[in-house]
Amino acid sequence: MTDIKTNSASSRTKQKKQGYWAGVARDGNKMGFWFVLPTVLLLLFIVVFPLLMQLYLSVTWWTPLEGIAWYRAWEVFNWGENYWFQLTDSRVWRALWRTVLIMIIAVPLQFFLGMSLAYLFIDQFPGRKVFYSIMLTPMMVVPAVVGLMFFLLFQGTGPVNAHLGLPSTFSWLTDVNRAMISVIIADVWQWTPLMFLILLAGMLGVPSDQLLAARLLGGSNWQNFFKIILPRMKAVIIIALVLRAVECFKIFDLIFIMTKGGPGVQTETISLFLYKQTFGEFEWAYVAAIGLTILFVLSVIAAKGLAYMAKKSG
Amino acid sequence: MSSIQISNVTKRFGDFTAVDDLSLEIEEGEFVALLGPSGCGKTTTMNMIAGLEEATEGSILFDGQDLSRTRIQDRNIGFVFQNYAIFTHLSVYKNLSYGLEVKKFAKDDIKRRVHAMADRMSISHRLEQPAASLSVNEMQKLAIGRSAIMEPRIFLLDEPLSNLDAGFRAYMRAELKVLQHEFGQTMIYVTHDQIEAMSLADKIAIIDQGKLMQYGSPLDIYNSPNNRFVANFVGSPRMNLIDGELREEENQLKLMVQGGAEIILQGQVKSDFTSDGKVHSGSFGIRPQDIYFGERRASNDIAMKGTVEILERVGPKRLAYLQVLETKFLAFDDQDQLKLGDEVPFFLPPGKSMAFDMISGHRLGSV
Amino acid sequence: MKVSPGALALKYFFVLLACAVVIYPLLWMVTMAFKPHPEWTTVAGLTWFPQNPTLQNFEFIFFGEAEGLVVSLDRTIVGPLIASLVTSICGTLLAVVAGTLSSYAVVRFGLAKTLPLSVLQLRLFPPLAVMIPVMVMWAFIGAIDTWWGLSLIYGIVTLPFAFWLMKTFFEEVPVEIEDAARVAGCSYWRVFYRITLPIVKPGLATCALFVFILNWSDYLLALLLTQKDWVTLPVYMATLTSAMGGQMYGMKAALGVIAAIPPVVFGLMIQKHLVRGLTFGALKQ
Repeated sequence: MTDIKTNSASSRTKQKKQGYWAGVARDGNKMGFWFVLPTVLLLLFIVVFPLLMQLYLSVTWWTPLEGIAWYRAWEVFNWGENYWFQLTDSRVWRALWRTVLIMIIAVPLQFFLGMSLAYLFIDQFPGRKVFYSIMLTPMMVVPAVVGLMFFLLFQGTGPVNAHLGLPSTFSWLTDVNRAMISVIIADVWQWTPLMFLILLAGMLGVPSDQLLAARLLGGSNWQNFFKIILPRMKAVIIIALVLRAVECFKIFDLIFIMTKGGPGVQTETISLFLYKQTFGEFEWAYVAAIGLTILFVLSVIAAKGLAYMAKKSG
Repeated sequence: MSSIQISNVTKRFGDFTAVDDLSLEIEEGEFVALLGPSGCGKTTTMNMIAGLEEATEGSILFDGQDLSRTRIQDRNIGFVFQNYAIFTHLSVYKNLSYGLEVKKFAKDDIKRRVHAMADRMSISHRLEQPAASLSVNEMQKLAIGRSAIMEPRIFLLDEPLSNLDAGFRAYMRAELKVLQHEFGQTMIYVTHDQIEAMSLADKIAIIDQGKLMQYGSPLDIYNSPNNRFVANFVGSPRMNLIDGELREEENQLKLMVQGGAEIILQGQVKSDFTSDGKVHSGSFGIRPQDIYFGERRASNDIAMKGTVEILERVGPKRLAYLQVLETKFLAFDDQDQLKLGDEVPFFLPPGKSMAFDMISGHRLGSV
Repeated sequence: MKVSPGALALKYFFVLLACAVVIYPLLWMVTMAFKPHPEWTTVAGLTWFPQNPTLQNFEFIFFGEAEGLVVSLDRTIVGPLIASLVTSICGTLLAVVAGTLSSYAVVRFGLAKTLPLSVLQLRLFPPLAVMIPVMVMWAFIGAIDTWWGLSLIYGIVTLPFAFWLMKTFFEEVPVEIEDAARVAGCSYWRVFYRITLPIVKPGLATCALFVFILNWSDYLLALLLTQKDWVTLPVYMATLTSAMGGQMYGMKAALGVIAAIPPVVFGLMIQKHLVRGLTFGALKQ
């Protein structure tokens, strides 16, 4: 694939813009309207009304325990005390911190491992196809099942201890420090293949004749990697990191099945904290408030990110 | 600078033989063109010289040395790709300096050399710009400069001029020749364009279907083609090649062409055809520029008669397509006198005619 | 280009190491599924392959009881299995139909230009932060613990993937083909139904399988929106208990194996398009 064609980027966007019928007849627009309708309705249904309801509930003391219907929540109106409370609630902050901790350890780890593996798979070698399929498997396994797998592995009486020669009293999932490590290991196991997949696709997108030219000019594999492959992968790297970071922030299934957030609250991430508040304490109004705050913060970050990207490619 | 010895090199891809028992001797500082139609194996041959492919059989030596153990990045071979393979994410400066940087040259040294090469290639004004923004012509100069700056022992160019517009192509042909003389590098140039090969190369290797057809200077190849393929391929417009059966009739040796036309063989070309007693069918070759009209000039010039079917103006000259029964002859109407539909006599000088064995394609007679 | 044998050996070493790491947990779970009770822990000495392989675990989860086991189940796998199948399939149908139609409208008619991004935002937030109102709503309309309630939410949350995936496939169909059909007199619907859809059929299949994998793999939504009748396989697996309590590793492993198979099989089938689906079309293989 040569990218020598002058103005290739702009001609591609031109094509994209022409990908739709510019002067569409009225009946075409009518059909288009009906086509978008289901999605728009579903979106409105799941975004608008719930958001309003969440806003409504978040400024009350409402909880489903007392048997009052939700629309009567105004009876326990509280002027946004939940919002105030969450700012001082150390449990919230600690849960957030634990989530961030997992993110800043797991995601870079997955990145480096994924990058290294991708590098191994650039060139053809016998069996590559088979090995490639094997490498992709972990991310296709149901997350809850991954949780179960590592739950079994990290049992005191399980294989990890047996193979490492550790006594069966050496606990992973119930140990204050090692619970976090176990969870991170499980997450890295499951999602490194995703990094591998994306980064490899990015690497293979580098025109091979440019790599050849670099080689012929005297560049070693290492040098070519850093001077040609890596710079051309900037966009791909960002995509991989952002995608993984967003998903990692949401982490739930794995931890819930492995440790339920324990021991104590050692592995209680924000999602787990919210779960406990929802089905343990039934403080639904409080959860609503925290939820909206998270929504707000993430939306601001996303908007800023999009604006930045638009500026760069504009 | 290196000489190259290619000995009995064969390259197979599974069942397909891309290069078949090729042998070439390239002297130090020579400009050699690998000429042939698409898919003939010339690019594969060049890739093997560069070390990008490995020969299935045979060897390629450089100054007598086998470089197959040396890694590609250590061979110092200049290579210009057909689509240039410019580093589009880097500036022009960085493209030129790439080879020097990876070999850890001093920064000042790099700067000096880059500016010098940019001046030579007339792209100094573009140094700080992204390489992707260059015009096609400038990119080509950048591609050459990027390799030349490393002063490689051998320069390999894979159809480098085929993407350029015609006017610039002529200019770059001259530039390449000057460059080569200046640096004295051994240059190997792959092309399917015979005009390029004829004008640029010291020696041309004509390759067809993986086999070497002929290797010699442009003039040799033009005047004394070894076989039918070379005769047909080199020369513009193409040589007339008429196939037929040899037959003795009325004490004359005739070439009987399908469709009824007959060529009465005389002189040199007759003895060429009879030189190998086993030949019964052959190809008669004569270049359009050697056919003449008007009065017979020599007694054993072969006389033919044909109808002017098509007249085509080519620049200042006119080409005439002469129909003899079912055979077409192409000739130059140098006196501009022919008219469509005329039945005219024309003559084929035997000394300028060539005889080829139709089955093997070999040139018959004195070569 | 010759790769030195040393470099190749090193490459194989790392590749094989990585594969071993990948296979280790999977193998453990698979072998566990065939192990009888005493072999579940190191108490009796730990082995990879069962000394006495048995189908007991599978028997147990399918029939509620098995030979040699004193405990019994009040609910077998059959219900959750059906639940997973039904809700995944229905959710997939919803997502794919809505996603395909709307992405076509965006690509060809230029309608609803904000749809691509707004649909993306559904994936941005931690589900638990926004599920309270959904749970309340679902309870209000009586959708809790129903097949259609779960299918509905499944369809909605995987809609973004279906949308973006089909969008990239539609963008690859040259407008000229559809224009030619239009010029020949086809209505917009005919063009879509008879020309475009057949062209993107493989893409459609990929999209359906991809979305199915996502729906089948869900845990949290089922946990929140089902209680008893329509509990799906992952939830059932995680909360497997018997009247007598106890660890039930073997049974859970058996459930894990059964639950894991469809997504892995489908995933391998659509391997080529995974990058496209997971990066919302930003990258292609």
